[in-house]
Amino acid sequence: MLQVNNQVDELTRVAGFLEELGEEWGLAMPLIFSLNLVLEEALTNIISYGYDDESMHTIKIYFRKNGEVLSISIIDDGHEYDPTLRSDPDITLSAEERPVGGLGIFLIKKVMDNVEYQRKENQNYLILTKNIKS
Amino acid sequence: MKIQVEATDGYTIVSVDGRVDATNANEFEKSMMKVVEEGCTKIILDCSGLNYISSSGLRIFLIVLKKMMAIKGQFILCNLQPEIKEIFDISGLSSIFPIYTNKEAALAT
Repeated sequence: MLQVNNQVDELTRVAGFLEELGEEWGLAMPLIFSLNLVLEEALTNIISYGYDDESMHTIKIYFRKNGEVLSISIIDDGHEYDPTLRSDPDITLSAEERPVGGLGIFLIKKVMDNVEYQRKENQNYLILTKNIKS
Repeated sequence: MKIQVEATDGYTIVSVDGRVDATNANEFEKSMMKVVEEGCTKIILDCSGLNYISSSGLRIFLIVLKKMMAIKGQFILCNLQPEIKEIFDISGLSSIFPIYTNKEAALAT
């Protein structure tokens, strides 16, 4: 389990943690890259849009590996927000028409096999799973 | 992240090393905007040393592309590592950015 504060600088610590976990669990470098991306996108959203106040908040991240299925659960006490409801960007648009943002959640959905959201006891639970059979 | 800029007659080569993520996207944006504002019409971004990018970084790539297109200039990417190329493919960005496998091919355009 990893706990981070609602500050963007914490992403550096997340990257370091993932590298150590990858070594411990024998994960391939491209997979560590993907997991890092997914975590950054999820955490950046929570940190940027999840809170109204200036207080410090703790975000908990749980990692599990069950055979070939890897799951990451992210729990935060920010506003209720279900990212699975967000519609996907149109990736066929031309450069002129393409908005510059809005890719984060889409990337999470593309990289992971399943993205599930729950709201329990005033907390957001984002449960991400991926089959890591190589 | 480390950025190196090499300006020559007619084009500028920018090399980016390391990670471009939410912690340093602002810094990357400032460096790229400086190159754009210098008035160069052909920018080649050498990504051989770029080993991680997130949507915060992709956003800057798109901003630079739009700026360059607005002045009828070129923004060309080369030497993308496989993991980076995959993110471009997933995001549909591979079809809107000129991407070349090496610097020589990018220079020849």
